[in-house]
Amino acid sequence: MAFNLWHNALELLDNVAKKINLNEVAHKRLSKCVRELTVSVPIRLDNGSFEVFTGYRVQHNTHRGPSKGGIRFHPDVTLDEVKALAMLMTWKCAVVGIPYGGAKGGVICDPAKMSIGEIERLTRRYTSEIIMVIGPERDIPAPDMNTNPQIMAWIMDTYSMDKGYVVPGVVTGKPISVGGSQGREEATGRGVTYTTLNTLKHFNMDIENTSIVIQGYGNVGGATAELLYKEGCKIIGVGDVYGSIYNPQGLDITKLSKHLAKTGTVTKYKDADSIENKDLLELKCDVLIPAALEGQIREDNAEKIKAKIIIEAANGPITNEADSILKQKDIYIVPDILANAGGVAVSYFEWVQGLQSYFWSKREVNLKLRDIMTKAFYDVLAISEKENVDMRMAAYMLAVGRVAEAIKIRGLYP
Amino acid sequence: MLKKIECIVQPFKLKEIKEGFREIAIDGMTITDVSGCGKQKGHLKNIKSDKSINFLPKVKIEIVTEEERVEDIIDVIQRLARTGHIGAGKIFVLPVEDVIRVRTRERGRSAIE
Repeated sequence: MAFNLWHNALELLDNVAKKINLNEVAHKRLSKCVRELTVSVPIRLDNGSFEVFTGYRVQHNTHRGPSKGGIRFHPDVTLDEVKALAMLMTWKCAVVGIPYGGAKGGVICDPAKMSIGEIERLTRRYTSEIIMVIGPERDIPAPDMNTNPQIMAWIMDTYSMDKGYVVPGVVTGKPISVGGSQGREEATGRGVTYTTLNTLKHFNMDIENTSIVIQGYGNVGGATAELLYKEGCKIIGVGDVYGSIYNPQGLDITKLSKHLAKTGTVTKYKDADSIENKDLLELKCDVLIPAALEGQIREDNAEKIKAKIIIEAANGPITNEADSILKQKDIYIVPDILANAGGVAVSYFEWVQGLQSYFWSKREVNLKLRDIMTKAFYDVLAISEKENVDMRMAAYMLAVGRVAEAIKIRGLYP
Repeated sequence: MLKKIECIVQPFKLKEIKEGFREIAIDGMTITDVSGCGKQKGHLKNIKSDKSINFLPKVKIEIVTEEERVEDIIDVIQRLARTGHIGAGKIFVLPVEDVIRVRTRERGRSAIE
């Protein structure tokens, strides 16, 4: 699937372009990435031998501001995948109206087979190889698959050593001790929560009588479950890689989180029935929140989905084929570029705080995040209703339109 | 950062809410009898055609507190002010620039502790 991700992204852009009558200049420029850098990353391994890894940093667009996007360490990373994800970041930043373009980076490696020391050397050498294209006013990396706050701290340290002074704004998702933001860790889950509440409000659904199923109980799914539970929602099913649990009366998420902290999994929680992971998605519920991996709802299980609303907390949890099936079943889908943009929004706050060297309270971060997510939801909803398109198409129309506007106003150099 | 929580609730809920505040060690507050109306213009049912405005008696509670305590206080009010019907009330959170305790001239956090 990885090899055609870029073609999918281009196809999507073409479809949106037709809908909004995108001018030819913007269409042509957006069909290419402004910069694609491939680097080799030589490091010494613990056993004394050495290895040369391949890394990428792609900046898709910078018309609305410096580019922003995560760095992933994964054996399946390809240049096309990184390009497609960079384009997705352009749209995500535009949809929530934060002043960034899109970028993405990756290194082809298997961190599960590497020591911490090897990962640190890989991170530092990769940073040093891409140092000429990143920076707080150019391109700001963030965590992604298999990269975490510690790795962001190494990137910040390597960049700062090179410059000769501390530059916290070069990367986001840092630990709080070196300029990270309050609320960054749960930001995506919090954004998903606000999006869910806005959707329920739109349908005049009563929070307490709404049943919710969440797939994935990590950084995003776990935070979403806890926050929605606190708002009074009934979470009837959750699952992680080890298995899923179900209680039609609603799970006590406070107790479940304690169980998870003790055992490392949501399975074997006593006040619920165990079910198969594939059955979790097919439970009868009002809202389904896939917060795990991409491609979870496919042609083969889409027909069996019984939720009324799906909030895409993960990136691309629904395949294109499944999307058309769900549409026929009249299931309301809130797309990933809107629903999970809370992460990049708080990344933006972290960058702003780093630039001004003045840090905000958690409450301030959360309130600003709520404003951004709510505004974005109603912006997309307005287009969806006016143009009579689904929320996914509306989000892309808004995003591409905003970038096209910036391209037009900035004009062409020279 | 100091914040003021201003909430409008049903008068018959005041006693319970006061108890709830005591449990989380909130001891300073100002209570006022007020009257007003919301979206329903003071009518007890959802009647959109009626244009008259009716004021209903409510109680206003004001508390000045540290920012970190705001969510705990909101939780108490949310839980105890609920009636399940329209008109249960609203909670407002406002920034407070400064607080001065007249007797001691203390300012800021120490003026409310």
